Amino acid sequence: MPSHPLRVAVVCSSNQNRSMEAHNILSKRGFDVRSFGTGSHVKLPGPAPDKPNVYDFKTTYEQMYNDLVRKDKELYTQNGILHMLDRNKRIKSRPERFQSCKEQFDLVITCEERVYDQVLEDLSSREQETFTPVHVINVDIQDNHEEATLGAFLICELCQCIQHTDDMENEMDELLQEFEDKSNRPFLHTVCFY
Amino acid sequence: MTSNNGESVGARTCVASQFFKDDKAIDMTTSEKVVDLLNQAALIATDSKLTVLKQVQELIINKDPSLLDNFLDEIIAFQTDKSMEVRKFVIGFIEEACKRDNELLLRLIANLNMLLKDESVNVVKKAILTFTQLYKVALQWFVRSKVMSEMQEACWDMVTQMKEDILAMLDIDNDGVRTHAIKFTESLIITLSPRTSDSDTPKRQEGDISLDKIPKDHPYIRYDTLCEEGKSALEQLLKFMVHPAISSINLTTALGSLATLARQRPMFMSEVVQAYETLHANLPPTLAKSQVSSVRKNLKLHLLAVLKHPCSLEFQGQISTLLLDLGMSQNEIARNTPAPREQRKRPRIEPYSDGKKLKMEPVLLEDDDDKEEPVAPSVSKPSSVPAAQSAIDLTAEFLRPLLSPENVANLVLISMVYLPDVMPASFQATYTPVESAGTDAQIKHLARLMATQMTAAEIGPGETSKDLLIKRKVPVVGQAISVVGGGYTEKSQLETPQVKRLPEPILPSTQIKMPGASGKRKVFRLADVVQPFTDAQLEKMTNTAVKRILHSEKAIAQSGMSHVRVKLLSRLVCQFEGIMMDDVLEFILEDIRTRIDLAFSLLYQEYNTYLSQQPAGLLDAYDHCLFTLLAGLQEKPEQRDGLFTKLVLEAPLITESALDVIRRYCEDESRVYLGMTTLKELIIKRPSRQFQYLHVLLDLSSHEKEKVRSNALSFIKRMYEKDQLRDYIEKFALNYMQLLVHPNPPSLLFSADKDTEVASPWTEETVRQCLYLYLSLLPLNHRLVHELASVYTEAIADIKRSVLRVIEQPIRGMGMNSPDLLLLVENCPKGAETLVTRCLHILTDKVPPSPELVERVRDLYHKRVPDVRFLIPVINGLEKKEVIQALPKLIKLNPVVVKEVFNRLLGTQHSKTPVPSSPALFTFLLMEMIPPTSTATNLCFGERNVYTSEVLAVVMQQLMEHSPLPILLMRTVIQSLTMYPRLGGFVMNILSRLIVKQVWKYPKVWEGFVKCCQRTKPQSYSVLLQLPPAQLTSVFERCPEMREPLLQHVHSFTPHQQAHITASVMTVLEANSKQPEPEAMRPVMAERKVMGSGGTHVFCSVCH
Repeated sequence: MPSHPLRVAVVCSSNQNRSMEAHNILSKRGFDVRSFGTGSHVKLPGPAPDKPNVYDFKTTYEQMYNDLVRKDKELYTQNGILHMLDRNKRIKSRPERFQSCKEQFDLVITCEERVYDQVLEDLSSREQETFTPVHVINVDIQDNHEEATLGAFLICELCQCIQHTDDMENEMDELLQEFEDKSNRPFLHTVCFY
Repeated sequence: MTSNNGESVGARTCVASQFFKDDKAIDMTTSEKVVDLLNQAALIATDSKLTVLKQVQELIINKDPSLLDNFLDEIIAFQTDKSMEVRKFVIGFIEEACKRDNELLLRLIANLNMLLKDESVNVVKKAILTFTQLYKVALQWFVRSKVMSEMQEACWDMVTQMKEDILAMLDIDNDGVRTHAIKFTESLIITLSPRTSDSDTPKRQEGDISLDKIPKDHPYIRYDTLCEEGKSALEQLLKFMVHPAISSINLTTALGSLATLARQRPMFMSEVVQAYETLHANLPPTLAKSQVSSVRKNLKLHLLAVLKHPCSLEFQGQISTLLLDLGMSQNEIARNTPAPREQRKRPRIEPYSDGKKLKMEPVLLEDDDDKEEPVAPSVSKPSSVPAAQSAIDLTAEFLRPLLSPENVANLVLISMVYLPDVMPASFQATYTPVESAGTDAQIKHLARLMATQMTAAEIGPGETSKDLLIKRKVPVVGQAISVVGGGYTEKSQLETPQVKRLPEPILPSTQIKMPGASGKRKVFRLADVVQPFTDAQLEKMTNTAVKRILHSEKAIAQSGMSHVRVKLLSRLVCQFEGIMMDDVLEFILEDIRTRIDLAFSLLYQEYNTYLSQQPAGLLDAYDHCLFTLLAGLQEKPEQRDGLFTKLVLEAPLITESALDVIRRYCEDESRVYLGMTTLKELIIKRPSRQFQYLHVLLDLSSHEKEKVRSNALSFIKRMYEKDQLRDYIEKFALNYMQLLVHPNPPSLLFSADKDTEVASPWTEETVRQCLYLYLSLLPLNHRLVHELASVYTEAIADIKRSVLRVIEQPIRGMGMNSPDLLLLVENCPKGAETLVTRCLHILTDKVPPSPELVERVRDLYHKRVPDVRFLIPVINGLEKKEVIQALPKLIKLNPVVVKEVFNRLLGTQHSKTPVPSSPALFTFLLMEMIPPTSTATNLCFGERNVYTSEVLAVVMQQLMEHSPLPILLMRTVIQSLTMYPRLGGFVMNILSRLIVKQVWKYPKVWEGFVKCCQRTKPQSYSVLLQLPPAQLTSVFERCPEMREPLLQHVHSFTPHQQAHITASVMTVLEANSKQPEPEAMRPVMAERKVMGSGGTHVFCSVCH
């Protein structure tokens, strides 16, 4: 078992719902966790499916919150977006983009296959230096509040199990197989190097 | 060194770090700080220790490197620290230190080597990472220093050794360590191969050393050796990748490493693409479904990365086919394909190994097959013949023209046979419908796929040509010999130039070879080539042959020849005297339902063999066969199809051991019925040995499991009806019962495991065991009861008690009319009195005794055993006179018995509804016969449900009519009154009538009369007034306190009533007071009449 807490990154596309939910739970359980998005922009649902609210990654959650309150407070209260932003701003100030983060992690957990692909692409395009391995695992989570909560618990359980292994890399395969059987969903898993 | 902060370790850390951060400790030199920190580090816990050590590292590496040398030993001393994190820190420190000062390698490399063999895998991993960096550092340093000292040489030797060690870790069984070893291998290959102009080197590694920077004239570091080492590392990596049980993470890592290699060292692109192809066609079967998709995703990613490299041009065909297979669209592939401008540059790829120039041009011109290649239209001459034509290419070329639709169809049909039952996860994930089936491109792809497989299996023209080439080269190039031992990758690398140079002779040579070989063919003589098999070989072949027949069940069944197979098998097995027997039996037992034919065939075959060897023949084989089958069936879980029965009943002979299995089967509670039915059938249908089978059943009748026993008993009862079996059963039962006369239970009563050396005493259980069978037969054959009596008399007291307990059911079953039972009562053997008494009790427990029984008992009582207890069970049936005679004796028995007697007499035993006359009669008898025993009356009054108020009324009536009056009359009256106060009116009536009967003539009764009056005042006043004056006086004498109230009572009368009171009575009343008024006497009579009629009324209601 590594004596330092596992350094975890949770990644979804906009760093709002799924990754933040997991960020929330994981940090409460004492993990060294950061969360990210991989999209080029932060997208939040808008008044119609084809009219999303688009922000760049520099916008703080606070600003988004105020913007949406101004636009249509009732709508965004009702669909839970404001509540989510409110939670997010208490965790950190603004969404972060995975591609711009140079910190090293032990474990990167992605929330959908597309994000997984992007993370992989980013990691393998970086110049290798230390050859320190980082495990990337994809856990498919639908982008809604309920699934995000369920997914976050699953991620948390997974991280706890990994944290408790004596030799993470050696036991990872088996652990994931067990989790697949238990949660009945497939995990993509690979290893990249810094 | 500050001496003032000696409080706690933690505080000291704070102070120290403060010093460090603020850099205020002007009075401390860096050296002193380091010493202080190191002293702290030696004492504190791991977490803070790491912080402190990191500070030290910062100080001596970055701040003041001159100190590095001084404190090296102190820091390195931590490499034996208990904490893995500290050891990892030491490794990191070694890396930093060596990078800072290369000289230190000489001192530290041995330490790193030690840590590389650390027990913690995490430390080992860290050491590998560090060594990956330090290898380059070391190489660079050694290359720079032109002259090498002995120490440097030793150091380099150690580095080389460590490199080998890590390469060997590719085979270690820890997944993570292997992953690190792969990455090291990757870095090693890159270092040990030349950087070329088209190398896609990351900026950060621009300055890293690589083979091209190594001088060929270095005194110690040999260019050639390093070059060979690099190649061998690549070879190891490739070999590692094709391991069938490679883990998904290792595979992923290796895929990434190959992509890096291909990009940074395009000279390896051919091997890389080929490895990708091989992998894609042969995904390890051990991967789970999601792992397959992960690996495929990786493969796609890395293929794209390779494709983007300008040098991928000549492999574009292969790569894009692979990408298509992996589900990428044509457009996407085209987008990631580099522009063809690079093509011109390609010939510049320099063969690095030994400077042999590749001759590409003729090959290029030769190629015209790919015109129709649809993959990337933008590439005018795509995927031309690869620069290095490998064995795969050759074989693919060879295969292509052969892939006619007909041939392919045949191939598919043939390979159908080898398809697994379940679709493997890897196939399921990778399968995409073939879009372009039949096109040239697809055929080409197919040829390549097959070639990959064939080459892996080392067949095909490519491989053959390679061998040929090696042979040819031997005389020309001396060094080639060393190559032969290597893997095929290396071969192809070395040979490809040859192939290029001489493309023509290779392919024809395969054809030339054939006639050459046949020319040398000798005259064929069978004797030369055949040798007799050894016994072991023969046996092995026999076995495998039989096994093949055995396991070809389905195929043969489809052809309708099952019966032949069955016959064949059974004969073979018999002939080979059971070598195969066990296998076949096991096979049968796997699915006996469908293989029962084989089972019977085998059985009969064995039996036949036995018969044919008579008289000396042995049943062993047959016995073994039957036993195994039955035992196998017995061990199987529940089956209802009666196979067991079928097997038993149809087997030609039941052997001892088979019978044992049947017995065990019967003992199994869940199958007892089936087992015993089978046994019954055996007994009935195999008369020649029926007693043997019957014996088993009889044995089971005393089994310890209740279910087994009861089943056995019910079966035996049915058998008992059969004349030919009856004697045997009876004898068995009696023999068994006879065991009871032994002082201790004989061992045959115990199952083998419970039998003890020392005879144990009889227990209830063992006694029952001896009797189960007997008792169940008893109701069927009453004559047997006499045997019981004779055994009973001989048995010890314990057994007697047990016997008495268990006979209830059967005796009741026999009934009191059984002549044998009556005979038993009549004869009553000496010593069996208790038994007879018990029988009588059982018989009369629920029903009243029959006259016959009463007769026998009476007879017994009078003529032979004058024990009054005999009479109790039949007391109801005795004459009144006899009862009266017996009662005194009965009453003297202990209270429990007395109670029973009364119960019987009162009829509470047999019915719930009381019979009034009988208790009334009894009470009457009681009054008359046994005046002193008021306990008896108490007993009667205790039975409230028998002695209802109505009954008591009748009793009193009857008692009163008796002359002379019974002594206990008044007692009964008083007691009745206490129990039922509403009888008051009736009692008054009784009292009045007693006066008529001149009750005062019976002193005892008179006494009671007075007491009763006393108790029932004021109701009794009217009765008292009826007494003649003399008697009234007597009453007052006995209880003077009555007089005054009575007088009062009279005074309250109306004058008319008072008129009825005689003057003499008044005189008595007023003996001590004034005269009553005469008119008050008359109404008393009227009153009395009213009361009388009331009493009659009560009486009447009682009678109804």
